[in-house]
Amino acid sequence: MKALFFFAPLFRARLRGFSLALLLSLITIAAGTALLGVSGWFLTATALTALGVSFNLFAPSAAVRGFSFIRILSRYFEKLIGHNTTLALLSDVRRFLFERLFPRVPLPARSLRHGDLVSRLTADVDALDTLFLLAIGPLIAALVIGAIVAAVLFAVLPVAGWIYLAALLAAAIAIPLALVIQTDRTGTALVEAAAILRTHVLDATLGHDDIVLFGQQDVVRARFTAAGNTLSRLRKRQSLATAIASGAVQTLTGFVLIAILYFGLVALETGTLDGPILAAIVFGVMGSFEATATIVRSVGKFSAAAASAARLHEIATMPPPIREAQRPVPLPKGTDIAFKSVSFAYPDGTKVLQHLDLDIASGEHVAITGISGSGKSTLLNLLLRIEDVREGAIEIAGTDIRDVALEELYTRVALLSQDSPVFLDTIRNNLLLARTDASDADLWTALRTARLEPFVRGLPSGLDTLVGETGTTLSVGQARRLCLARTVLAPAGIVVLDEPTSGLDAETEAAFLADIPGTFRGRTLLLVTHAQIPENARMRMLVLTNGQLMEPKQ
Amino acid sequence: MGLRGLAGGALNLAIATPLVSGVLLVIQAALLANVLGLTIEDGVPLLSVAPLIGWIAALILLRALLAVLGEQAGQAGAEAIKQSLREKLFGHLLAGRHGLHLAPASGAVSAGVVDQVEAIEPFFARYIPAMISAAFLPVAFVVVLMPIDWIVGVLFLLTAPAIPLFMALAGMGAQAATDRQASAFARLSGHFADRLRGLTTLKLLGRQKTATEEVYLASEDLRRRTNAVLRIAFLSSAILEFFAALGVAGVALYVGLTFLGLLPFHPELTLVAGLFALIMAPEVYQPLRQLAAHYHDRAAARSALVEIERHIAKIDALALASPAAAPVTRHGPAALSVRALDVVSETGASILNHLSLDLRPGEAVAIMGPSGCGKTTLARAIARIIPASGSITLDGRPLEEIAETHLRNTLVFITQKPRIFHGTIAENIAFAAPDAAESAIHAAAERALVNSFADELPNGLNTLVGEGGAGLSGGQAQRVALARLFLTDPSLVILDEPTAHLDGDTEARLLDAIFEFCSDRSLIILTHSRPTAHRADRILRLAAGELLPIPHRLHAVGENRGDNRT
Repeated sequence: MKALFFFAPLFRARLRGFSLALLLSLITIAAGTALLGVSGWFLTATALTALGVSFNLFAPSAAVRGFSFIRILSRYFEKLIGHNTTLALLSDVRRFLFERLFPRVPLPARSLRHGDLVSRLTADVDALDTLFLLAIGPLIAALVIGAIVAAVLFAVLPVAGWIYLAALLAAAIAIPLALVIQTDRTGTALVEAAAILRTHVLDATLGHDDIVLFGQQDVVRARFTAAGNTLSRLRKRQSLATAIASGAVQTLTGFVLIAILYFGLVALETGTLDGPILAAIVFGVMGSFEATATIVRSVGKFSAAAASAARLHEIATMPPPIREAQRPVPLPKGTDIAFKSVSFAYPDGTKVLQHLDLDIASGEHVAITGISGSGKSTLLNLLLRIEDVREGAIEIAGTDIRDVALEELYTRVALLSQDSPVFLDTIRNNLLLARTDASDADLWTALRTARLEPFVRGLPSGLDTLVGETGTTLSVGQARRLCLARTVLAPAGIVVLDEPTSGLDAETEAAFLADIPGTFRGRTLLLVTHAQIPENARMRMLVLTNGQLMEPKQ
Repeated sequence: MGLRGLAGGALNLAIATPLVSGVLLVIQAALLANVLGLTIEDGVPLLSVAPLIGWIAALILLRALLAVLGEQAGQAGAEAIKQSLREKLFGHLLAGRHGLHLAPASGAVSAGVVDQVEAIEPFFARYIPAMISAAFLPVAFVVVLMPIDWIVGVLFLLTAPAIPLFMALAGMGAQAATDRQASAFARLSGHFADRLRGLTTLKLLGRQKTATEEVYLASEDLRRRTNAVLRIAFLSSAILEFFAALGVAGVALYVGLTFLGLLPFHPELTLVAGLFALIMAPEVYQPLRQLAAHYHDRAAARSALVEIERHIAKIDALALASPAAAPVTRHGPAALSVRALDVVSETGASILNHLSLDLRPGEAVAIMGPSGCGKTTLARAIARIIPASGSITLDGRPLEEIAETHLRNTLVFITQKPRIFHGTIAENIAFAAPDAAESAIHAAAERALVNSFADELPNGLNTLVGEGGAGLSGGQAQRVALARLFLTDPSLVILDEPTAHLDGDTEARLLDAIFEFCSDRSLIILTHSRPTAHRADRILRLAAGELLPIPHRLHAVGENRGDNRT
């Protein structure tokens, strides 16, 4: 529930649209109530009027027609404006979350499933729409209309006013509140069950080959079926609670009608109430219940919306893995790098780097090797502040990178990480991500460097070929080379490559490595690899062992 | 839609309850009109109408119960349909062969199986009951009203049938708009999934502002399309409201004027009859209103099915896959023979060209070749996960004749980018053999050198690894997948780049374990690594779609790069 307030500023920005929708919904229900009340009064009054006696026909019949048309128009625009405002709010929420998400990158991979994340952003954001349109709006409308009807009743039949007021509070507040409490846990469980189901589908799509190869379809299917049954069971539980609450409101309003009818008839017998007024009250009350009928329906969704809001709130407020400099200093020109007594340990305490020192001159090319898991990738991540050093400092051009704006750091250092993705887009757009103003000639040069040019030239659509979600139309090696081309294209003075040749055959690998001096002339290069570096690559070679860098043994 | 049969009897109950409730409503309205009319016009004392009031109360309670029952029955029916459809779609996903074609975008598929399936719920739970109510109840109500006052009956007869006609006209436009909206929704899901996967990369490329803006624009596009749907949907309900208002106002005026003696048709009309007509007036239109409220559900469900069919499969063609047969025991290392194998890409380019390969029982063959030359394609064809023309035989039996279960027990293929499923490391290893004992899992982990990194994790093998293998480095994920191999007992093992991402020492230790395990099995290793290839009995080179032998000794001496380039 508290999480909902987190999104309050976004609601406030759309307050005008929501207020207008609310006003129109009030007019709609008021017109409906008045329509039935006037009709009941009109009928009864005319029945009691002696034949031929002059009766002001014009006013009530005009009122009946007027209320009808007001109702139709206001309902149409109420719905249109309400929905449009809600959808605009949802776009705002999506943008807001993405803005919040970027500073929190990289997300904690071990606790946040990717499928979960997708579900959070799409489904959870959608679930928020019920909040105003179906929950808050009707509640306010019911209370306002109810107050007006109660006031009228107090004037003509006080006892009915009390009964009506009590029923209104029960139908608009007590029963929905009980339902919220009842379905709160179900709502949370529902959203989670859907996320789990989604993860199973993603596992089955992306891991399809592995499932087939191990013949584990039945196991995977059984897990999916169990997850689906859980979802079904929760939905039925949710629906039953909503149906019972809705039945309770229906019964309550019915009994209120009877009570008002009874006391009205008593008043009629004692002569304190006119017949036509009694008919107007009974019909008007019937009409006003339109406002309360929808509240319960939406409350079932309200708890799901609250759960969604809580989950969105959770990712939007995670502590960022690194802290952005408060008053960033500009990064001076120059591409020299210095690691000064850098230490780093994983959150679980495993020490990776210990008092590591490394000086790289501007334009120098350095290759680092070392056994798997020795911390080579960590070393590169620290340079881009994907994680921060625990002790010591890293300087670029003599400036501590923690004092520099992240955005500036990223424009100066380009990284090819082990898990760089190919985006669902054309080859051209995948490359342009690194440098929006690159010309076609630049793109071809980058592709040539990555040894991908002949392949792309051979494609019927060339640079405009659409590549799949995980680069499916590309082989693993080709996808890797496309990412490499993207990194090479980036206009950064410092280039950092994590195993650039994995997935490449030995010849291509050797050719790429041999070309390094020319390709990266004038740029500082830090390379992590298992490959043999050819001597003509003229690189400084270092080995990472026990958290420190050594000269390789000859 | 053909799916209704999956619901069982629950849907029939959901359809019947509103009809019963409608009959009760007529009685309730008649009682209410009598109470009001008798007391107000005829001055009947309250005491004598008290039983009528009691009956009204009983009817209100009964109708509320019926509503709860009907609603729950509708939900139960819809849930049965959804679950059954989900299972069919999932079964299809598992059975499907993507072949060489672009695999469906996982974001769109999961949106299909999870969200689009949900979108058909209102159609079955609410639209169908509403549709049947709308077909019967208004007519039934008019039939009841006819003998009381034929003018009122005629008024309803004239206004009510016009409603579905106008709504159908408006609904046609709504369907087209809804289709566009559903495909925008699928695009949005796919876009999200893709950009989320690359969030870190986008940030490092300084693209956070444009990526955020793109998400906003995709979302705004969805808003515009949704608005187009809603404008038409709301217009059709406004048309309905217009006719309903016309009917109610018409009845009120007609009855009022008759009471005043200004209309000659039915001078003896009583207040009871007039009130009854007025109470029933909105109720005649109510079932139609209900239908209009759910009219959009039909369009939404239809669009959802179209999206499902576009991304996954034709609903009609779905069938539950047959259960797997019992496991088969192994008979020694397998012999493999590949003859005249051709694989053509979807663009028509030849990937494998009349390729031949023979593997003696117990032989280890390494296949090398430039990246993208078709090594993986060859392995996938042998493992029967892509179609190929030509002949492949395993122990003399044509591949296509071997039963699926038997093939999967005979042949194990560890892919280049193995899937690490959401779960613990141990669960991921046990994926190959769900019944494996814990000790066996530990032994497999040890052999694949998983322990060397898992031991340093706080929860060891019970560490949760994220969907997509996030949290593990490339080399670590590869080793988890290799550990799966040690839980199986195949005759033929195919490994695709098992030692990529590994340093020389780790590579050597892992190869020791692999070759020990494969000492009495046939083995194909696809690799770029010379140290790996040199362990094999034979090295082949794949180029231009054909396999060429590389003499072992020659290769070892002549192509050793380190020596060569000095």
